[in-house]
Amino acid sequence: MHAGGPVLLSLMGLLFWNTALRAADPLHKEIDRLILARAGGQKPGALTDDAEFLRRVTLDLAGRIPTREETRAFLQDTSPSKRAGLVDRLLNGADYPRRMQELFHVMLMERLGDHADWTQYLQTSFAKNKPWDQLVREMLRGRANDEASKGAPFFLSKRLENYGQNPVDHPALARDIGRLFLGIDLRCAQCHDHLFIKDYKQRDFQGLFAFVENAALKSGPTPEVMEKPTTRKLGFQSVFRKQPMETGPRVPGFAEIEVPVFKKGEEYRVPPNPKTRTPGELRFSPLAKLSETLPVPQNDLFNRNIVNRLWFVMMGRGLVHPLDLHHKGNPPSHPELLDGLAREFVAHKYDIKWLLRELALSDTYQRSSILLPGQEKRAPETFLTALEKPLSAEQMLWSMLEATGEKERVVAASKSGGKNAPLEQARQRFLKAFSGPVREAEEEFSPSLKGVLFLENDALLLGWLTPRTGNLLDRLTKLSDDRVAEELYLCVLTRLPTTEEQQEVESYLKKKAAHRTTALQHLAWALLASTEFCLNH
Amino acid sequence: MKKHPLCRPWEHRLSRRQWLGSVAGGTLGALGLGAIAEPLLADELKKKHRQVLFIWLDGGLSQLESWDPKPHTQFGGPFRAIPTSVPGIQVSELLPRTAKLMHHLAVVRSLCTKDNSHSAGVARIQRGDPKNRGVTYPYLGSAVAKWLGAGESGLPPYIWVKPGSSGFITSDAGFLGPKYGAMAFGDGKPPENLLRPPAISSDEDRERNELRARLDRRYAEKRRKENTEANAYVYEMAAQLQKKQELFNPATFPAKDVARYGSHEFGRHMLLARRFLEAGVTFVKVNSYGWDTHGDNFVGHSNMVPRVDQAFAAMIEDLADRRMLDHVLVIMMSEFGRTPRINGHVGRDHWPEAWSLIMGGCGIQKGALVGKTNDKGTFVTSAEHDIGHLFHTWFQALGIDTQKVEYDNAGQPLPLAHEDCAPIKELLA
Repeated sequence: MHAGGPVLLSLMGLLFWNTALRAADPLHKEIDRLILARAGGQKPGALTDDAEFLRRVTLDLAGRIPTREETRAFLQDTSPSKRAGLVDRLLNGADYPRRMQELFHVMLMERLGDHADWTQYLQTSFAKNKPWDQLVREMLRGRANDEASKGAPFFLSKRLENYGQNPVDHPALARDIGRLFLGIDLRCAQCHDHLFIKDYKQRDFQGLFAFVENAALKSGPTPEVMEKPTTRKLGFQSVFRKQPMETGPRVPGFAEIEVPVFKKGEEYRVPPNPKTRTPGELRFSPLAKLSETLPVPQNDLFNRNIVNRLWFVMMGRGLVHPLDLHHKGNPPSHPELLDGLAREFVAHKYDIKWLLRELALSDTYQRSSILLPGQEKRAPETFLTALEKPLSAEQMLWSMLEATGEKERVVAASKSGGKNAPLEQARQRFLKAFSGPVREAEEEFSPSLKGVLFLENDALLLGWLTPRTGNLLDRLTKLSDDRVAEELYLCVLTRLPTTEEQQEVESYLKKKAAHRTTALQHLAWALLASTEFCLNH
Repeated sequence: MKKHPLCRPWEHRLSRRQWLGSVAGGTLGALGLGAIAEPLLADELKKKHRQVLFIWLDGGLSQLESWDPKPHTQFGGPFRAIPTSVPGIQVSELLPRTAKLMHHLAVVRSLCTKDNSHSAGVARIQRGDPKNRGVTYPYLGSAVAKWLGAGESGLPPYIWVKPGSSGFITSDAGFLGPKYGAMAFGDGKPPENLLRPPAISSDEDRERNELRARLDRRYAEKRRKENTEANAYVYEMAAQLQKKQELFNPATFPAKDVARYGSHEFGRHMLLARRFLEAGVTFVKVNSYGWDTHGDNFVGHSNMVPRVDQAFAAMIEDLADRRMLDHVLVIMMSEFGRTPRINGHVGRDHWPEAWSLIMGGCGIQKGALVGKTNDKGTFVTSAEHDIGHLFHTWFQALGIDTQKVEYDNAGQPLPLAHEDCAPIKELLA
């Protein structure tokens, strides 16, 4: 391709986009058009079959595999619009708020810790489909202004705790705000302009840092943050050029916020009261400014970051990848698509449900993950074949409960809640076995020894494979050998067995007739422990 | 891409993520055997397969009640000094068995470190207290796991025997990433779920895994191979590890050995450590807790030091008998020493200014004595040595030249140990 190629293409992309807007095509059609526009002559993969689509979209929007009833019903449904119908049912289903809570918790907290108010906050927010800009405003504000935002400050407060004798890591908080809300990892820019990424300047890091440098954890039952008065600009210097510089709070790409000067003692509108332990109300609160000025439609980084992250959730890879390295040297694979998604998302008032629906309805989302001969080396960023996605610890838990037919029993036994409820105990064990290391984004499939040992030997999990009225093993023991495979594959892998698999199951059961229950347990275990099960393909 | 001392290009981080993508979560790489060490270094080191036994007396062993006794002085305390198998070296009478083995060992009396606070101190010392560059350095165990790999033991390169809980301790690894973390045997027991429930025989286990593997093969036929391969690799490691169960089953420990090492906790843990070393584990750490005698220092030491003496001496004897001292580096130390001044509770407080440790094996000068403190034991009168000097020395003994080798933290080169320190020449044979 000659030098002018990419520019020309991106101009064409913009033209396409504008045409599309005038033609008022739904976004999902545009997505497919723009993906194919950059296919460079490669053929896209075929659409996935109904079973795989059902499993994929249920995992993505409900956080679990489908029930066997859902699978049977969907496979028998002959309506041409059944996929769109399913997407709408899932988006409005009972599992959607929980799935979103788990998803955003993992994305935003990176396994740092949890809090009941934070869980509640995310669940109710997603149940109401609260717009993304509002969510971020509430998370960055540092305190809950009403019942509906109670728990939101956990994003900040958890990062303002100190660990052992280590001081509170304010720079890490500034960095996480950049990474998770703006898609820029300013780590290196803490001490100097980034040496390889021209866009990442030290003043950008320090500007973000100036918002949070005076924030502190407020102890109490619900997550909250308080602030010490900010009375002057933040001074800093590069480790390379010892030249003093300063900045007020500033969102990258925007103007510095002036730090007002108050007479000593007049920094507070309502002074703090040590007796009642109320932190008081500052006349100038950098966190208030942050929450007002970062999540705004004019902030391209903010807009692109979230659509890129939602794209990643559904498609398995960001248009910009890694997700926190948006900069000119790491351009999106499909620049006009990213721009268009951002623009449309803002036009739809940061409506997460709307965007997820459009993504789910696209052919790009609905393609098979099967690579045909000759496609083995196909680059993932073409998005011409669906990418496999790892299941989170939470998705593993709900899917295993569903597959083993134990969900009803475990959930019913946990009605009273609390730490000792079977569901909570199971959750803790799954988190221990399958969650990634703290402060690492969970973006790729990373099998670990502790996970494998859990699958092989954990008493809880193996216990779910004990025949109990109505569970998977119970049902299997009551079926004749020739009918086991279908039930097993439908319940665990959400598909029908192939002829080869059908024969394999039958001959294994025949061989092990003397120990039939054990044989059934091994068959079920093998499916649960398979790569096919622990991926969303 | 050109390396730069402070920052990392995103291209490098990308490849780190991809690498981690297949190995993160603690341990895939930790069992990745030769794949871990840098290729050039690995080839050379693999032939020699050096190992480390690192004994950590958590808190502070009193130098005056161990390797630097000052009897009949103001702060000397009640214990006598006894001669050792090396003329000119005397140790506390609490260490009679080790005293007889001093010709295998070396004593350093010139430690002068900087920090007397707990918890920050453990990590600071075990990370070698490098110059602050805003990155978290690996503990010695993770560092050695990285440079020496896992050898051919089929076991993880970094095993930690300790009181308390078992598990995968990834935080030790710092910037090296979770795969270089420790596998902890809490109270000598393996991590959770490592042992198969008795209801599943090894034949049945093989059978169910064959069913699983067949399913995986079919799945991989039509999809990208990496995921299935990564999964198969971890299952294989789990199988390898489970095959070694006998190693850490106390029922298989010979009674004679148990008697020699001591049936107390430290003795049992040291015996387990010997079995790991014999099995070829690269780095074995053994922790003993309770070394913080702010009160009743002398009763405390008279109870605890003889146990350490018993198990430590048994270990040195065994390693010497098995000719393993040629390639096993043994280190026993705390995070600081204790104050010469005896406080109002007949205790000794934290003293980083002048303290001691013992080491040996793997080319450490036999019978060496390094450093000298003043008559009261309050300060070092010879050249002072910080933990950085010891890190250089230990890496050198393991065949890792700290002047030539450096970490590549995804593009950011970092020295192995503090660049203001150097190996202690008298300790290297």
